[in-house]
Amino acid sequence: MQVKVLFFGVLAEVSGTGIKYYHDVRSISDLKFRILDDFPEIVHYNFRISLNSELTNDDIELKSEDVIALMPPFAGG
Amino acid sequence: METNYLTDGPVSQKIITHLIEKMGGKTDSGGHMIFLGQVRADVIDGLKVKAIEYSAYIELVNVEAEKIKKTIFSEFADVKSIEIVHSTGIVNAGEISLLVFVSAGHRHQAMQACSKTVELIKVNLPVWKKEIFEDDSHKWK
Repeated sequence: MQVKVLFFGVLAEVSGTGIKYYHDVRSISDLKFRILDDFPEIVHYNFRISLNSELTNDDIELKSEDVIALMPPFAGG
Repeated sequence: METNYLTDGPVSQKIITHLIEKMGGKTDSGGHMIFLGQVRADVIDGLKVKAIEYSAYIELVNVEAEKIKKTIFSEFADVKSIEIVHSTGIVNAGEISLLVFVSAGHRHQAMQACSKTVELIKVNLPVWKKEIFEDDSHKWK
């Protein structure tokens, strides 16, 4: 079971990567713990989460091939 | 990376003229409103911005740009078409990083819808920007 995590904006710099794969993750909250473990600095940043290109605030169960994006406040336009 | 809504580097004159020509064929439109967003050489803490580097979540840009268009079409019944092009990658100060092109039957909705589209883009499009200063330091916006 493998999910893909995308880091955008300043988080790509904080994590040193744009993409990281996580294995055997149960849910979004579970994933957040694992990410913070790897990159404790992330706790200082505001970000939203999307699951398979859909913004979500819910703690959803994850399945293999899910794509989770960590997105700081948008700054386009 | 070229998609419906994103272009690599600055929005080129080629894209702008292509869209103007394309719109010319729509004879139900009486007004076109074009907004061009440009990178400004802001001075921050004594340092001048020389460029902005844009990054985007492409799949979500497509989803959100479609939603923006849907919102505009439903709010402005006279609007015939909406084109959005946002830069990714490096855009130098003085270059164009955003194009919004709205065509409507009449001028009022063309102008209002274009303005609203720009505001929705600023809130909803998953794009990020990093200001690059003349000393090559950078700051996330």
